[in-house]
Amino acid sequence: MHISEGVLSPSILVAGAALTTAGVAIGLKHIDQKDIPTVGILSAAFFVASLVHVPLGPISVHLILNGLLGFILGWKAFPAILVGLTLQALLFQYGGITTLGVNTLNMALPAVTCYYFFGRVVRNNSGRLGFSIAAFACGCCAVLLSGILVALSLYLTGDAFLLAAKVAVAAHLPVMLIEGLLTAACTLFLRRVKPELLEGQYAQKL
Amino acid sequence: MPKNSDKLIGKTFITRSISCFFAVLWLAFCNTPAIAHKVMIFAWVEGNTVHTESKISGGKEIRDATVFVLDGKGNRLLEGKTDNKGRFSFKTPKETDLRVVLKASMGHRAEWKIPAEDFKGVSRESERSIIQKSDTGPQSKVDTFLPSKNREGKVSKSIDAGITREEIEHLVNDALERKLAPIVDLLSESIDKRPTITEIMGGIGYIFGLVGVALYFKNRSNMSK
Repeated sequence: MHISEGVLSPSILVAGAALTTAGVAIGLKHIDQKDIPTVGILSAAFFVASLVHVPLGPISVHLILNGLLGFILGWKAFPAILVGLTLQALLFQYGGITTLGVNTLNMALPAVTCYYFFGRVVRNNSGRLGFSIAAFACGCCAVLLSGILVALSLYLTGDAFLLAAKVAVAAHLPVMLIEGLLTAACTLFLRRVKPELLEGQYAQKL
Repeated sequence: MPKNSDKLIGKTFITRSISCFFAVLWLAFCNTPAIAHKVMIFAWVEGNTVHTESKISGGKEIRDATVFVLDGKGNRLLEGKTDNKGRFSFKTPKETDLRVVLKASMGHRAEWKIPAEDFKGVSRESERSIIQKSDTGPQSKVDTFLPSKNREGKVSKSIDAGITREEIEHLVNDALERKLAPIVDLLSESIDKRPTITEIMGGIGYIFGLVGVALYFKNRSNMSK
C-alpha cells in the first residue's frame, strides 16, 4: 500500500499533501488531553503492523490496521497514521517522504469514512452481535477502500485503473479478512474492559 | 466503591493493552524473514549483457514486473518483464550511464544505476585487441601477451597454434565471471536491508516520545488556564 517515490505525478503529490494537511488539522482539533495516550499507542500499533506480513499468493502484503484506528480514533486517525507512516518511511524506507501526503490520505481517509459508516452502531448502543459485525466491516472496508484509493492515485498518473484496482484488491483480500477479525476482537475487548474509551469518542459532537 | 473498581478496570486495561502490544511485536519479529513491502532491483554487467534481479525485501522474487532501462538523461531505451526468478537480462544498448527502473504493482518502484565505467573496461580492451590484430596481420597471433613463448619454443607453439589474444581475453573474462558469480549473488543479497530491531524499537520510542511532548504542552496550556 505504500506508494514509492517517483511513481506519481507532482500534481497528485501536492493534492494528496494538501488534503492530508487538512485531515491532520481536523484530527488535531479533536485530540483532547486524555486522548493523547490512546492516539500514541494506536500510532505505535500502526507503525509495527506493517511488519506483520501475510504470505499468500505471489505478492506479499502486510497488515495496515487503518480500520482499527478509524473505529477507535475517528478523525484522530489522520495524525496517528501520519506519524506512523513518517517513521516507516524514515526507518524502513517503505513509501517515501514525497509520497507521504498521498499515502497518509490513502490510509486515513478510509479510516475516517468507515468510522462514519460503522461508528453509528456504537452510538446507537446496539448489542454485542451488531457491534462485532460493525467492527469487522470497519476493518474490512477500510483496507478495501485503501486499495481502491491506491489504484485511483495510480490511475490519475496514467496506469490502467481496473487492472491496478484488481491487483490491489485481490492482493488484500486475505488482509481484509484478518483485519476485520482483528478489529472486531480488539474493539470487543475494549468494549468489555474500557467502554468509555469508545463512548468518549462517539459521544463527541460530529 | 465505583471509583476503586474503575481504577481496577483501568489497571487491567493497561496491562492487557501492553500485553496485546507485545503480542503484535512478537508477531512482527516472528515474521522477520518474510518482511515485505519494499521492492529492490540489482543490476550487474557481464560482457555486453546487463543482468537484473528484482525482489521484495525478504528475498522473494518479483515476477512479471516491468523493468525500464533509461540512459543518464532519462530517455527510455528499452523495457522488459521479469521472469519467474525475478530476472531480466538485456544486451547493452548504449555504453553510457544507465538507470534500471523496476515498476511493480501497487505503486512500488526501485532503481539501480550502472555507471558508464562498468562498460568501458570491457569495450576498450576488445577495441585494443582488434586494433592490435589488424596491425600485426593475420599470421602472428599473440606476441607479448605470452612471454613463455620466447623462453620455451615448443610449448609456446602449441599454445600459439589455437589461441588468439581475443580468445584469451574472452576466456579470462568468462572465468572471472564464473568466479565472481557468488560474490555478485552475495552483493545482491546484502542490498536487501530489512528493518532491524533497533529501527523498530527506535520508531516506537519516537512515538512514545511524541506522546510525552504532546502531553507536556497540553498540560501546560491547561495549567495556564
